[in-house]
Amino acid sequence: MALLERLQRRATDVGLLPWLVQLLPRLALLSGLVGLAWLALWLPLEGNYRHTYISENALMPSQAYSYFRETEWNLLRGFRTQIKQLVNETSSSRNEIVGSWLEEIGVKTAIHTDSDNGDTLYGVLHAPRGDGTEAMVLAAPWHNGDGDFNLGGTALATALTRYFSRWPLWSKNIIVVFSEDPKASLRSWCNAYHSSLDLTGGSIESAVVLDYPGANDFFKYVEIYYAGLNGELPNLDLVNVAVHVTEHEGMPVSINGNPESEIGDSDFYAKMRKMLLGVQKMALSGVQTCYGNEAFSGYRIQSLVVKARGTGGPFDITTFGRIPEAMFRSVNNLLEKFHQSFFFYLLLAPRYFVSIASYLPAAGAFSVSFILAGLDNYLNSAKGLSSTSNSSYYSVVTILAFVVSLLAAFTLSQVFLQWTKPLVLVTISLLVSSVPLLPIKSKFTTVYAYRFKSIAFMYLSVVLTSLLVVNFALAFGIGLLAFPMILIKNTNSLKLRFKNSLMLMATNPFVCTCIFANVFEARLQGLVVIERLISAWTQLGCWSWFVICIGWLPVWLMVVFSSIPSADERRSVQSANAKKLQ
Amino acid sequence: MNLRELQVVAACLASRFGASTVFPLLQQQLDKSVEFSTPVTSYRSLQEGVFLIRNDFPLYSGGVVHHAPLLVALMSAFSSKNMVSLLYACADTMIAFQLIAMAKCFSRSPLPSWVPGALYVINPLVLLSTVSKSSVVFSNLAISTALLSALQGNSIIAAMAIAVAGYLSLYPLLLVVPMLALLQKDKLKTVFITAATLTALLLSSYKINDENWNYLFSTYGVIITFSKIIPNLGLWWYFFVELFEMFIPFFKAVFNLFVVSCIIPFSLRFHKQPFYAFILCLSWITLTKSYPTLGDGGFLLSFVPFFRPLYGYFRYSVISTLLFIHVTVLSPIFYHLWVDLGSGNSNFFYAISLVYALGLATVLVDLVWAMLRIEYDKGTPNLKLKMTPL
Repeated sequence: MALLERLQRRATDVGLLPWLVQLLPRLALLSGLVGLAWLALWLPLEGNYRHTYISENALMPSQAYSYFRETEWNLLRGFRTQIKQLVNETSSSRNEIVGSWLEEIGVKTAIHTDSDNGDTLYGVLHAPRGDGTEAMVLAAPWHNGDGDFNLGGTALATALTRYFSRWPLWSKNIIVVFSEDPKASLRSWCNAYHSSLDLTGGSIESAVVLDYPGANDFFKYVEIYYAGLNGELPNLDLVNVAVHVTEHEGMPVSINGNPESEIGDSDFYAKMRKMLLGVQKMALSGVQTCYGNEAFSGYRIQSLVVKARGTGGPFDITTFGRIPEAMFRSVNNLLEKFHQSFFFYLLLAPRYFVSIASYLPAAGAFSVSFILAGLDNYLNSAKGLSSTSNSSYYSVVTILAFVVSLLAAFTLSQVFLQWTKPLVLVTISLLVSSVPLLPIKSKFTTVYAYRFKSIAFMYLSVVLTSLLVVNFALAFGIGLLAFPMILIKNTNSLKLRFKNSLMLMATNPFVCTCIFANVFEARLQGLVVIERLISAWTQLGCWSWFVICIGWLPVWLMVVFSSIPSADERRSVQSANAKKLQ
Repeated sequence: MNLRELQVVAACLASRFGASTVFPLLQQQLDKSVEFSTPVTSYRSLQEGVFLIRNDFPLYSGGVVHHAPLLVALMSAFSSKNMVSLLYACADTMIAFQLIAMAKCFSRSPLPSWVPGALYVINPLVLLSTVSKSSVVFSNLAISTALLSALQGNSIIAAMAIAVAGYLSLYPLLLVVPMLALLQKDKLKTVFITAATLTALLLSSYKINDENWNYLFSTYGVIITFSKIIPNLGLWWYFFVELFEMFIPFFKAVFNLFVVSCIIPFSLRFHKQPFYAFILCLSWITLTKSYPTLGDGGFLLSFVPFFRPLYGYFRYSVISTLLFIHVTVLSPIFYHLWVDLGSGNSNFFYAISLVYALGLATVLVDLVWAMLRIEYDKGTPNLKLKMTPL
């Protein structure tokens, strides 16, 4: 106690508080930079990440011998030849034919019809040893995310179903799913499974999506995708099992579509790139190319995609089939739901990860940065108040203005949901960004300008904090991209106004998202990202569009308001200069 | 009652009733959220009780209903949905009106008397709590009636109201202690009337409940023993989820002692500021009760405007505001992570209920410190004098 008392007295004597208040803008800037550096530079350093481990002992990956080998080879090729003839058939006849094969094997099948998104054939293989309350899903969409016909994947799924049906050891039902595509149609099936379908096999514990396009027997390496919708990740144990099994069979693993040339790299920069790629994939999940694991988000299903890459190479298609086989053997051992290991993690390599406590401060720093900026603006506005004016009147007007911009942003999000015109949206954004350049004077005084920014930054900080745990990548992304907003100053000089306008353009939610997608995601060129944001909501139920519209846009609008030069600005600048001269 | 006050009261009635009728689904959503609904206050279980009582089934043998029998009987008299919404809106409006009337009792207050009522009207926690049709509204109404009557020196109504509050949700009965300090005279009579009213209520409940005493456990026993373990914003539930069986009775005793412990000390120490002591005791109960909701918290915060002279001494006002904002935003999110997605666990949600408790505690500590400071300064605020509060 005495020590604290002394510290407090000393702090008062030195004048710590006023000094800190003066430093607030710089502290806000520093905090944001610390957040970026924390993720990009600090975490990939040796000692900050950990080696992955299987935390649920029951999983025992690769402990049992995999038998999906040469004996199945001819069956698999037979199925593939047959399915190759179905490529140009209509989806209903394709489903009917493959469904009849499954029925022959002894699998109960049904077709989920969805006229908008495409029909889905699925079959339930009842567990010989279980009570039938839990299930594992093996999904093979007819067309994969790249639009290719998933010939190898669907042939494998059929062959594996036949192979699984002869084994008496299953204690969980196996559901095999053939959907039209890995996005809307698989999602529609998953939603229907949890609401309306008659043929069901209990709660789904895990889902593996097979992606093996083409008729090639050999491939080079395996890609694993795991980022789910709305920041959800599968349990790290499942990812570990997949990586373990794949590497055990000798295949190189790439996570999140990392290019082949970088698979073997394990230096600092490689770890950094892989982790940032993972964060980007998490943030754009549902918006970028969907490979299929996204379809299972929101129902407590641990799902991932294994994808074969390359047409020539040392590994044949049965080796690829041993990955789902061994994974199913592992998941089959589980006695309880996946829970022990981590649900919040970033992978720096297939076998290295950082857990939530280590990476959370990165996005937290942005939230703090906005709080500090908000506080700074609030104190600045208090400075401008004369002692006679009523402070709470200003507060009420500010809150009302904020409510108006929130409502405007909400309306805009709803309008463009129905009327998807990205070009219009971006054009409007660019026009509004140039408002500070117009020769108009705002009726609001500088006090309001500061108050507006203050409430906006505080709101953004609350939004980021609430996103922090739910969707780390989105929180970090918004924090990073919206960060330059705190640098916008209230000014009257033309040069600074020009700078403000540029800054506003750069931090506009839509313009900024487009630029980000164009730079970092080769598949999202032009303004496609905005269409995808909207379709991600309508088809998959991904919230990113609303987070951007309701969390970010009103803040930006308030900053635009406050950056219009106010009528009393010049006076205050002049009086400040006069004071300096005195 | 001037025009402004009338506007406040009308706005209260209109906002409550309007929100219930315009967004009929909102009630169900809120009633499902753990922040606004607990087993002892939820409207769903009240409706179940109404159904049981209308069909002459025993009320409490199913273990679903935990509301007082007379409340269930009262609700069964209302058949239409709009009437029920109107009843809740009226109860809440009464509270707003009583807050205005209380403000009038403090003639030296610098605050216009309509302000506490207006703040109550725009308080989102209370609004949502009323829309969720949580029975917290009725116990809050009884408490505010008791407080107002005690302020006006009407000991009989005060005693009866506090007995009703105790009858509805048990812990408010403790508020009789600070209320005695509030009443200048007739202290013995007050205690007697409270006891008599309570006995009458319990006996008539016994009659209504088919001459069966089992309602005592279902209503009060559940509150004391916390036998319905359901997550809420309180401090208790987590212990009973995590503890070994054999420790549980001990902790039940400790938590109940905890609720009672600070009532008499607060009332004694601040017996010269009885209204203030009453609010301190109320906040203590809100902090430590077994099934709290945000409705309790919102009701408590509505009394803070009365302490305008103490504002200068508040040291955590920014912190407590931020805590309350973050709790209201994060608690549904963490509950969603735990219960819907399964990626979080109970620790996430309990952490948030601890933050809520911290928010209430900062308000409580601030109030106590401010009152002690103003006592030290002999009633005239001397904000220039800095003291180290450690």
